[in-house]
Amino acid sequence: MKHRITISVLILIILSCTGWIWADHAYLKPKPVTFTVPQGWPQPVYDFSQNPLTQEGITLGRELFYDPRLSKDGSLSCGSCHQQFSAFATYDHNLSHGFNNSLTTRNAPALQNLAWQKEFMWDGGINHLDLQPLAPITAEHEMAESLQHVLQKLKTDSRYRRLFKAAFGDENINTQRFTKAISQFVLTLVSSNSKYDRVMRGQDTFILPEKLGYQIFQQKCVSCHPAPFFTDFSYRNIGMPLDPVLQDLGRMKITGNPADSLKFKVPSLRNVMRTFPYGHDGRFFSTINLFDHYRKSIQQGPTTDSLLRKGLPLSNFEIGQLTAFLYTLTDTVFTKDPRFAPSGSGPSASPPKDVH
Amino acid sequence: MPKALLLLILIATLTLQAQQPVAKRSMVIAFQLYAGDQPLQPGTCYTTPQGDSVYIERFRFYVSSPRFNNSTTRQANGYYLVDMADSSSRYITLPINTAAPSQFRFLLGVDSLRNVSGVQTGALDPLNGMFWTWNSGYIMAKLEGISPQSPAAGQRFTYHIGGFRSTQNTAQQISLNIPANHRGDTLWVRADALRWFGPGFPLRIQENPVCHSPGALAVHIAGNYRHMFLVVQP
Ligand code: HEC
Ligand code: HEC
Repeated sequence: MKHRITISVLILIILSCTGWIWADHAYLKPKPVTFTVPQGWPQPVYDFSQNPLTQEGITLGRELFYDPRLSKDGSLSCGSCHQQFSAFATYDHNLSHGFNNSLTTRNAPALQNLAWQKEFMWDGGINHLDLQPLAPITAEHEMAESLQHVLQKLKTDSRYRRLFKAAFGDENINTQRFTKAISQFVLTLVSSNSKYDRVMRGQDTFILPEKLGYQIFQQKCVSCHPAPFFTDFSYRNIGMPLDPVLQDLGRMKITGNPADSLKFKVPSLRNVMRTFPYGHDGRFFSTINLFDHYRKSIQQGPTTDSLLRKGLPLSNFEIGQLTAFLYTLTDTVFTKDPRFAPSGSGPSASPPKDVH
Repeated sequence: MPKALLLLILIATLTLQAQQPVAKRSMVIAFQLYAGDQPLQPGTCYTTPQGDSVYIERFRFYVSSPRFNNSTTRQANGYYLVDMADSSSRYITLPINTAAPSQFRFLLGVDSLRNVSGVQTGALDPLNGMFWTWNSGYIMAKLEGISPQSPAAGQRFTYHIGGFRSTQNTAQQISLNIPANHRGDTLWVRADALRWFGPGFPLRIQENPVCHSPGALAVHIAGNYRHMFLVVQP
């Protein structure tokens, strides 16, 4: 009799244990986040089925994005070169100042609407968003060691082990999880709330210069910078002479095809008034310099874009109106969104400290 | 009482049994790294078909989807990195059908799909140093070392061969005949590092000490090394 009770109790315990093991532990699982496609935008090209967004994944990605331990000497995070105030470009620097690496030969672009982008970098050399973090981290010659080192640093940090477990179910930290988490965060960087967007949604109206600027833009710029991204993601040569020091041949570096010489990815113009300086090497200090280039100094070479064969004439008046229009592409909801700022601190609404 | 105990034991054994893998016949592919007709040793001087002297310090290549001609299924996760620095990496165990296979096949390198699908794990983890980060894509094979003929810094030669786009493709389909008199569970496959230098395309270190990007040179070198394998009897 006594035994029978013991055994029943034992069986009960075993049953409840198996029950617990088999149960659907929704409260322990990462919470799914749906990616919202702004009204009228195409479907994203990023394959979310391979990396479903979750609250925990995004949180982890943000931690990593702002963690300076990702760099060799512990001084730079992704966020040092990609600053929220500047739509995640490097504010006021032609070339990002980093450790002495190859990235500093180009101007850091804004990070926004990356879910719709197929290729990354000015020359499109990176063919998947998940691969992007590997480039800055391993820009120096011996890649394997420093990536190994970064993962090692993360593995020895109990906080990261917890964050990885929350995002991926266990404490295992590997290259794939690390890069997927960063992707999750940067995928949430969607800019779709500029004045331009509000006007298009019928929630606001352009003032006259903005309206005129928009019309000029539709005539002279839209073939390469079409809405909603203000880029067609193609590679083109706008006749910027080769910099003798940087010797950057752009897209040709990737394809090896001379027809791609001096072609660079058409940059998005969203938040463009926040992302100066301009051009792939940051040679234009302001939009005025760039407009001057378009109207006066396009260099005609074998690969110069056919749309620019006759130059791109712009009057001073037109430049004024275009500038007014470009200001409507600034999205302060985006540049002030606290979800995109480093955790624990407020949004970076003011220009960042100089990082020379 | 003993009945209940018996029941418990029965349940436990049943659960355990369900996890037992079914034993299968298999064959081990054993790669032997060679320089000409000698086993490859670091710090040893060899002469290339072009007459250059080389000390080989690093030799690695990807073996993808290894299979026998009569295999019915491909290996599920069939990516392997054979590495001179890691002797355990030279053995690949493959399931085998009842009939003796007459060919061993694999892709030398990494298929183009894996080159455009983001960050992979296992042998394909970028951590292995076989991935270009500035121009996404796998390094299919690597050969590095020192040669007095090299004009590069430290008299080094560095061949990182990759490229998966149509005109730059360096992945190579390899089929090796297995002799009819082959016996045993091990297939010895010799990989001769000196075949990187010719014949075919004469690779002279003086002219080309470095190959670091996809393009014509990489395609030429891959055209050489696709002939580096030979099935040998122990
Ligand atoms: C030293 C400064 C620096 C650091 C640190 C840095 N980046 Fe960048 N980033 C750049 C530059 C410069 C480019 C453009 C490079 C090019 O086109 O060749 C770039 C490009 C990018 C792009 C491509 C954008 C596009 O539109 O093509 C992404 C995405 C990106 N970085 C994300 C990151 C992430 C994530 C990190 C942290 C792991 C990071 N960056 C760290 C400077 C930096
Ligand atoms: C033929 C295609 C083409 C046309 C037309 C064109 N652009 Fe561009 N634009 C580009 C390309 C390509 C770049 C990047 C050039 C580089 O850095 O090499 C660029 C760069 C820019 C930049 C710098 C952005 C940055 O973040 O660096 C601005 C601003 C810009 N264009 C505005 C305009 C305006 C305004 C017009 C119309 C007057 C215009 N573009 C017409 C292709 C074009």
